Amino acid sequence: MAEVVFSSWGGKVIDNRQGGEPEAAAFKLPGNYLDEGNVGAFMGWDGVIVLDKDVDIVTMAAEYMKRVQEKYCCAKCTPGKRGTRVMMDTLARILAGHGEESDLDTLTGLSDLLDNCKCTLCMTAARPILDTVKYFRDDYLAFLRGERKSKQAKSYRDKLTAPCMDRCPAHIDIPAYIEEIKDYRHDEALGTIRNRMPIPAVCGRVCPHPCETACRRALIDEPVSIMVLKRVASDHELLHVQEPPHKAKAPTGKKIMVVGAGPAGLTCAYYLALEGHKVKIIDMLNEPGGTVAVGIPDYRMPRPLLQREADIIADLGVEIEYGVKLGRDVSLRELKEQYDAVFLGTGAFKSKPMGVEGEDEGYNGFSEGGIHYLRKVALGEGMVTPKRVIVVGGGNTAIDCVRVALREGCEDSILVYRRTRKEMPAESYEVDDAEEENVQFEFLRNPTRLIVEDNTVVGVEVIKMELGEPDDSGRRRPVEVAGSEYVIPCDMVIPAIGQDPDLSYLEDGDYGIEQTRWNSIVTKGGTMMTDNEGVFAGGDCEYGAMTVVLAVGHGHRAARTMHRYLTEGKVYLDEEDAMEDIVNNLGVFDKEENLGIIGGLHREHQPKIDGAERAQNYEEIELAMPESQAVREAERCLRCYRVAMLAVN
Amino acid sequence: MINLKIDGKEVQIASGATILDAAETVGIKIPTLCYLKKVSPTGACRVCAVEVEGADKTMTACNTRAVDGMVVTTQSEKLSKIRRELIELLLVNHPLDCPVCDAGGECDLQDICYSQDVVRQPFGADDVNAETIDHWPLIQQVPNRCIMCEKCVKTCHETIGSSALFVNEKGDKAFVDKDLDKCDFCGNCVQVCPTGTMISKPFKFKARPWELRKTQSVCTLCSAQCQVEMHSKQGKVMRVTSEDGVTVNDGNLCVGGFFGHDYLNSDQRLTTPLVAQQETSWEIALDKVVSEVSNLREQQGGQAIAGLASPHLTNEENYLFQKLFRVALNSNNIDSEARFSSLRAAKVLNEQLKLNGASNPMDRIGTAEAVLVFGADLRSESPALNWQVQLAARKNDTRLIVANQRQTKLVKQAESFLQYRAGSEASLAGALAKLLVDKGQTDNDYLNRFVANRDELDQYLSNFDIDAACAASGVNRAQLEKAADHLGQASSVAIIIGRDVMASAQVENAVAALANLAMVSGALHGNQGGLFPIASKGNTQGLIDAGVAPEFLPGLVDYAAGKEKYASAWHATLPEGGADATGILSGIEQGTIKALFLAGTNPLVNFPESGRWRKALEKLEFLVVQDILSSDLTRLATVVLPGSASAEKRGSVTSLDQRVNKLRIAVAAPGEARPDLAIFSDLFARLTGKPEPSEKALRQEMMSLSGSYADVCQSLEQSNFCWKQAYTPENKSLTAAKPEIASPPPAEMQLLVGKCPFQFGTTTTYSAANNELAPAGVIIVNPEDAAKLGLAEGGQIKVTGPAGSASGKVMVNSMVPVGLLSAADNFTEMNIQQIIPSGSNCVAVTAKKA
Repeated sequence: MAEVVFSSWGGKVIDNRQGGEPEAAAFKLPGNYLDEGNVGAFMGWDGVIVLDKDVDIVTMAAEYMKRVQEKYCCAKCTPGKRGTRVMMDTLARILAGHGEESDLDTLTGLSDLLDNCKCTLCMTAARPILDTVKYFRDDYLAFLRGERKSKQAKSYRDKLTAPCMDRCPAHIDIPAYIEEIKDYRHDEALGTIRNRMPIPAVCGRVCPHPCETACRRALIDEPVSIMVLKRVASDHELLHVQEPPHKAKAPTGKKIMVVGAGPAGLTCAYYLALEGHKVKIIDMLNEPGGTVAVGIPDYRMPRPLLQREADIIADLGVEIEYGVKLGRDVSLRELKEQYDAVFLGTGAFKSKPMGVEGEDEGYNGFSEGGIHYLRKVALGEGMVTPKRVIVVGGGNTAIDCVRVALREGCEDSILVYRRTRKEMPAESYEVDDAEEENVQFEFLRNPTRLIVEDNTVVGVEVIKMELGEPDDSGRRRPVEVAGSEYVIPCDMVIPAIGQDPDLSYLEDGDYGIEQTRWNSIVTKGGTMMTDNEGVFAGGDCEYGAMTVVLAVGHGHRAARTMHRYLTEGKVYLDEEDAMEDIVNNLGVFDKEENLGIIGGLHREHQPKIDGAERAQNYEEIELAMPESQAVREAERCLRCYRVAMLAVN
Repeated sequence: MINLKIDGKEVQIASGATILDAAETVGIKIPTLCYLKKVSPTGACRVCAVEVEGADKTMTACNTRAVDGMVVTTQSEKLSKIRRELIELLLVNHPLDCPVCDAGGECDLQDICYSQDVVRQPFGADDVNAETIDHWPLIQQVPNRCIMCEKCVKTCHETIGSSALFVNEKGDKAFVDKDLDKCDFCGNCVQVCPTGTMISKPFKFKARPWELRKTQSVCTLCSAQCQVEMHSKQGKVMRVTSEDGVTVNDGNLCVGGFFGHDYLNSDQRLTTPLVAQQETSWEIALDKVVSEVSNLREQQGGQAIAGLASPHLTNEENYLFQKLFRVALNSNNIDSEARFSSLRAAKVLNEQLKLNGASNPMDRIGTAEAVLVFGADLRSESPALNWQVQLAARKNDTRLIVANQRQTKLVKQAESFLQYRAGSEASLAGALAKLLVDKGQTDNDYLNRFVANRDELDQYLSNFDIDAACAASGVNRAQLEKAADHLGQASSVAIIIGRDVMASAQVENAVAALANLAMVSGALHGNQGGLFPIASKGNTQGLIDAGVAPEFLPGLVDYAAGKEKYASAWHATLPEGGADATGILSGIEQGTIKALFLAGTNPLVNFPESGRWRKALEKLEFLVVQDILSSDLTRLATVVLPGSASAEKRGSVTSLDQRVNKLRIAVAAPGEARPDLAIFSDLFARLTGKPEPSEKALRQEMMSLSGSYADVCQSLEQSNFCWKQAYTPENKSLTAAKPEIASPPPAEMQLLVGKCPFQFGTTTTYSAANNELAPAGVIIVNPEDAAKLGLAEGGQIKVTGPAGSASGKVMVNSMVPVGLLSAADNFTEMNIQQIIPSGSNCVAVTAKKA
């Protein structure tokens, strides 16, 4: 980034205006805004950053407050609605040369009063204004004395965000839908969610909810149950037998092929269809959902609900053809020729090897991988699960495998993981659930060798591990304890180390599509377009195996850029996209923040079927949260909106 | 429980309560402005900011939950300054039109400025003047005066369920806007508005609040009987309001209660007695009545005289009416429009369940775990029950099941919608009962204890054919099973029965089946839920209780069985026989009935076969009409006696849920009009030579003679209302019925008669406000049928049934299914009842463009 002229960001003042050895800043702000110009300054919830000394900071403050008041203030509290209005008019008066010095006291006083706001939108919007009055007082005085004329930047770019919505890869307007639930407007809440996510029944159940790790409520008690509230909104529509109100725009005549009916593909198709484009999805499976359908067991994600989400998307005019595999039944070249644009959402279905002797010998009782095991079970493809099963790995797939094995009649379902429970990448509640279902855990063990009799696996030799120094991921590296090997007998071994995309459909030449060295597709600058114009990609095939919600985020972003590609012939990021990325890079959640209020309220949990007995079937184990409880939970939301604005020179 | 300290006082309160709740329990008053108890807290005004130990910032008492160990300060210099500044901000650009503002003198903003010592304006902003919204019917919105408390928005959504209001625009330009299509024009937005933002157009500039005299009374436009305050000035009711928290309706009113009172001031009010359509004195008019009926009684006996009373009359009036006929005229030809609906249902429920009216107070609907709304358009028929259902479904996790022929507004809140075909009510209710039994979701101990013929019930249900019920009703089995599960899994069930059932030709079978379902589902047992038949009009319940029917004496006592007791109490010989409304009609046609006394009832519009009634009435030798509004009917009468509206008289009325409410006189009746009771008393004295009975004496007599009212009247003297004796059936006192199951209805186009949501009987068609919303009847047609018949929205349609034709404007709306037309019976001009056969609400019709 460019050198900082001044910054009050995060309460740390860096002032290089007087020259001397410039002090460096720790935040990440780009030096330029797309190809529009240089970033001159940035204002937001945590202060002011000036990169270009020529930016008229008073004019920028006036513009910032005008946008806060006229574009974003929800008007739902007095200090916000009227306080920012008075600030806006006061700043405008100063710019016009009609200000008085007492106006600066008014701005300061109102900044304090805005601490009483209902939410943090206007409250935090006062912060940069206060900082400008404090640190750019001479500039204000110059205006007050009539010595300066207002100078607008080339452009100003703004963005409404919140820590949760920033952290959510799909950038759902979380505070909005939570407030709608609080106000008993579940259908409107669902509408807000669908603006960014067309599969709320899925993401209301199996999302790892990174948003909740950025919930400010956690700083005073516990994070808001954001994911479950999404399910509540989605269940409300289902329970009340309502149809979604959305309608597609008039047909554009453009044809799009989406490869893969997983979360990325479905999302991309949904938003393109809403724009009026004719979308066709092909998928190699015989049902929608991709990894969600065949990789997440029904007790977590009932497939009829997934089917309903796909049906809703199909009702917008999206054609879905199942059983068609790219590279086998049709080539990318053919698709490219027949369609105006192609989206690749082919997922990551190839299991990573364990790196253990004998794993590629094709022994009986050695599963190709966790994702394969889950898929075969889900599709009823004759997978017989024996009595004693070892699953190797510590992620969500590994947990799903040990729990599915129990449901498939296995008596001893054993998870082998080379670190401890604390380091497991699986969600901790999933690990708890597995434990409750009597899954056995072998921590700090790593497989070294398969024990085979008559071409059949009868056990796994493991070596004990201990934790050493932290590695790149920040987790302590497991180190083998020499000579500690022993054998755990079993009838089946399922490696669930991870998955990679299978891009073999690009084998006939990469068709101009760049790949990473770990076999994923490269897209450019947040546009989701590959090197090959008109071919876009997103989800696991682009990022590597990741989350449903990331795939949704990709699908949505791709639909936006594809729409521009189809209608304007250009692929670019608009203000919303670009600012989303800039703010995301800067970071919105501050885990050190002192909120200045007290909490003391526990997070509400949805009821769950308890005990090991539930592991006998695939009934959903998490039950719907009653709406009254959801409203109580929604009341805990602090509505942590923030407004950011860039001055571009 | 949670312990906290507020201003040094120790407070203990239940978990979940807010700081404001906690403070209230120890008498600490925290100033509020946007807080409204009946809706979820908004936290908009921030005036209730308090200091909490450990928090640098203030926290708002209205929406911050109390936490154990919290130490709260509600008064400090810091807080006073913040509150003052917040209010100063509210006053930025607030117009200085308090002198002419509708809220002047009753404005919460004025009050809080005063109490918080807001005397200056340090803040300035550019002066902007938002335009007043004047294009909404009946309600004006002045955004300049709005403090954005959202009380209106929340009440509209959470309490009323209309969800018409919303906040539009951002920042200081934000204002409360309305989706007119969703508005029910209940006026609650006006009522809850703390400033003069939401204004009632009919009331605007009519009076200052301090000029108004307030009278506590009840609204009698429907049988829920909301508690109201009538505000009058110079002898006219200017507006009607209701107070939150202390009324059974929690301050909520509907379009009838809030706007409908205008008929009181109608220029069509009857103000002088008429004989042969000529104004005359009471003396002459009453003499005329007495001489005519005395002659008839002498010459042809009491059976030549008949009378129809009304749900518009009080309990005492209806009681005296039947006594007048039975004792003074020796005639038992008495009846009312309840004959066509509520009375028929009441007979079944009384016989089967020993139930007369609802089994519980209506607030037990809001807390029931499942609610079944059967054949009722609650928004039209009983807004107060609708608010209960809103509370239940929206806030209390209640499972709502709607069974209706039409897609009512409530359907979108239902988890089960059973859209059935006319005539299949008993099948549908029977199928639900059977499924509950089959699924083992019944309380066997309860059934064994209370049901006299448990074996017969089991046998009836075991032979019940669900598939046949599905075929008859058009409801598929999966839907039925789902609804049955909702009912079966709930520990408390409320069943609401509406007009579509109670006015139908199959009312006896349908209600019997629903009574069975009530037993089986547990609706009759326990403190929550209940069975709620919606009495069709204001005091229909009191009318039934008063014994205005040939087969009943007061208190639903069988006439033959109770005759001796009443005869001795009244020191009279009671007449034999007696004709009901249908018998009276044919009696007039056959010439056996010569004189008819209509008290507050209009067969020309309100009764099925209204055309036939018109011909019959024209044939009468002597017709007395006692009413408050002039109409085609009064023009037919030999003698017209001007009576009084409920706001103009004393007496009691009984709600659908067994509340006996006291009417108080808000204004005097116009001209020489007299309270109806005074007219009956006068006639009674003249005909019997006995002294005129007093209202109080009559009430005591009625209550002591009718079982469920016993002991009620004493408490009524001191309070606004009291309850009839609670429903407590004895062991083995309930009888399961074996209702016949109807065959599938015919395929022809049917017309269903109901009620217009904006009108109440024909009464409010004399109110300008209601007529602004619904000036004339419409016939609602499904879009497919409209296309088939070549009908367009707003065009004219003519419907013809066996009894006659009617025509009106077309409303194209998919709330009615294909093959069903729907019309309201409120409109004299359309007079849809002329094509409806007696004892029905539905008829096969041919429809065409008119």
